[in-house]
Amino acid sequence: MTRVITLRQAALWLIFALVMLALPQFVSNGTMRIMIFANFLAIFAMSWDFLSGKTGYVSFGHPFLVGIGAYTTAILSYRFGVPIAVSIPLAVLATLVGGTLFFLPALRIKGTYFALVTLAFMELMYQLIQVIRPDLTGGTRGMSGIKTLVSGAAPNYYLSFGLMFVIALALWMLSRTRLGTSLDAISMNEEAVSGSGLNTTRLKLVAFMVSASVAGLGGAFYVHYLGSIAPRALFDINFVFTIIVSALIGGSATIIGPMAGAFFMTFLLEYLRPILPGSERYFVYGLIALVLYVYQPKGIFAIVDDLRNGKLRLPGRAANGDAA
Amino acid sequence: MAILEIENLYAYYGMAESLHGVSLSLEEGQIVGVIGPNGAGKSTLLDSIMGLVKTKGSIRLAGREITGLQPAELVHGGIGYAPERAHLFPYMSVRDNLLVGAYTARNDIEKNLELVHNLFPVLRERWAQETATQSGGERQMVSLGRALMTSPKLLLVDEPTIGLAPKICVGIAEALVKLNRETGLTILIAEQNVSFAMQLASHIHVLESGSVAVDGPVDKLRADPELAKAYFGT
Repeated sequence: MTRVITLRQAALWLIFALVMLALPQFVSNGTMRIMIFANFLAIFAMSWDFLSGKTGYVSFGHPFLVGIGAYTTAILSYRFGVPIAVSIPLAVLATLVGGTLFFLPALRIKGTYFALVTLAFMELMYQLIQVIRPDLTGGTRGMSGIKTLVSGAAPNYYLSFGLMFVIALALWMLSRTRLGTSLDAISMNEEAVSGSGLNTTRLKLVAFMVSASVAGLGGAFYVHYLGSIAPRALFDINFVFTIIVSALIGGSATIIGPMAGAFFMTFLLEYLRPILPGSERYFVYGLIALVLYVYQPKGIFAIVDDLRNGKLRLPGRAANGDAA
Repeated sequence: MAILEIENLYAYYGMAESLHGVSLSLEEGQIVGVIGPNGAGKSTLLDSIMGLVKTKGSIRLAGREITGLQPAELVHGGIGYAPERAHLFPYMSVRDNLLVGAYTARNDIEKNLELVHNLFPVLRERWAQETATQSGGERQMVSLGRALMTSPKLLLVDEPTIGLAPKICVGIAEALVKLNRETGLTILIAEQNVSFAMQLASHIHVLESGSVAVDGPVDKLRADPELAKAYFGT
């Protein structure tokens, strides 16, 4: 049996944390602001990965979950003066309800259809939030002047990194348990999982709930960092793709991959900004994703793994796809 | 006592009826074969027992009615299933594939792993290999192993020889016989490969278009020249 965490892995996590925590001493405030975004993107990408990367139920509507978390805490704290310490947990609870809504179609459909239904959820939320009780949601314009938790680049960096780190470690450990293995198995062959005596419905529900609560938690902290919220900033197809591509570039179903992918994507987009100010930047990341998938569909994570084992093979790939 | 009794079983895929009143029973410790051509309903029969198909009629496991139960509950109840074409998790190691099977029998993991490794020593050596990179024969072994990890009282095996070389079939047959002799496990095998099934089973049921055409002890069936000619090609 593999242990959930070995001493060596614990040491690596510790080193990672120490390096990241020391970073504000060496980099500019501007870079730190980029890293804050990377931290949040990493949270969303890991949340997506735990649901879609692991179970194979590809969600195209993750901003729906993020948005529920963000809007709940924004409305509670901004409109009703609820303290943040109360509104964030409530936001996570609300996201769990959203996660259940996500889960219901997954009982019947999968693949493309599931992706489309979740996309519809997001679009529906975008429309509804503008027309239902605009006095609460702020309608199209959203809300600004939402309380922030801390101010300044460095404190926000520490907060977002701390949150991201705890989530990453928890998800990573969770995916190394028996539960994680069974979720991986669902993405490969759901029938065989139930044939082995596992209740796939219950397993999927757990994955959806974990993913939703992470998305909600991330969304809630994100809105308290930004201080403002607007429908188009959240429920946006570009946001969906940034999340998904981060997870896939990094290496899905690995938790660490999506985290690395989020940093890679955020910095790439930022550094390309002076050269390609418009949305052509997205063309570049499409290209990178394309090249990566041809040579190593399992993402950056697998490339690093191959390098470490000294067996990097670039052209083509050896694993045969039609295994069953 | 009969460990499995099926009475007047009908199975449906939507509107289509694909089993028309099948009855059969297995005594504890027996190996029973279900043979028949493509589309005869062999896999449907096993899927029906596993609760994967909509059925009408009665299926009893050790006297308990099990129709309508979920697959997970049936595995808990003691049915192990090695489906057609293995259905493994291709990008997981041999060990992880086996461990997924061990979910309902966590206390027996060590014992069952030992059993599987003794039956198929190659799996002990290759425990870290991804099953996507294994040969068909080894995949079949992993599939049988995964079913055994559930600590079954009754093992359902669907076409274990499909796509395998004759020499490997012999190895699989030996393993199943050894399993039956040493642990007393009851086994129900669905097969197209008649000689394989006859070699293992004490009783045979011949399925034809969803009904049992002939059944009885292997020796008796073999002795009937008409039957032998029609079904067993000898």
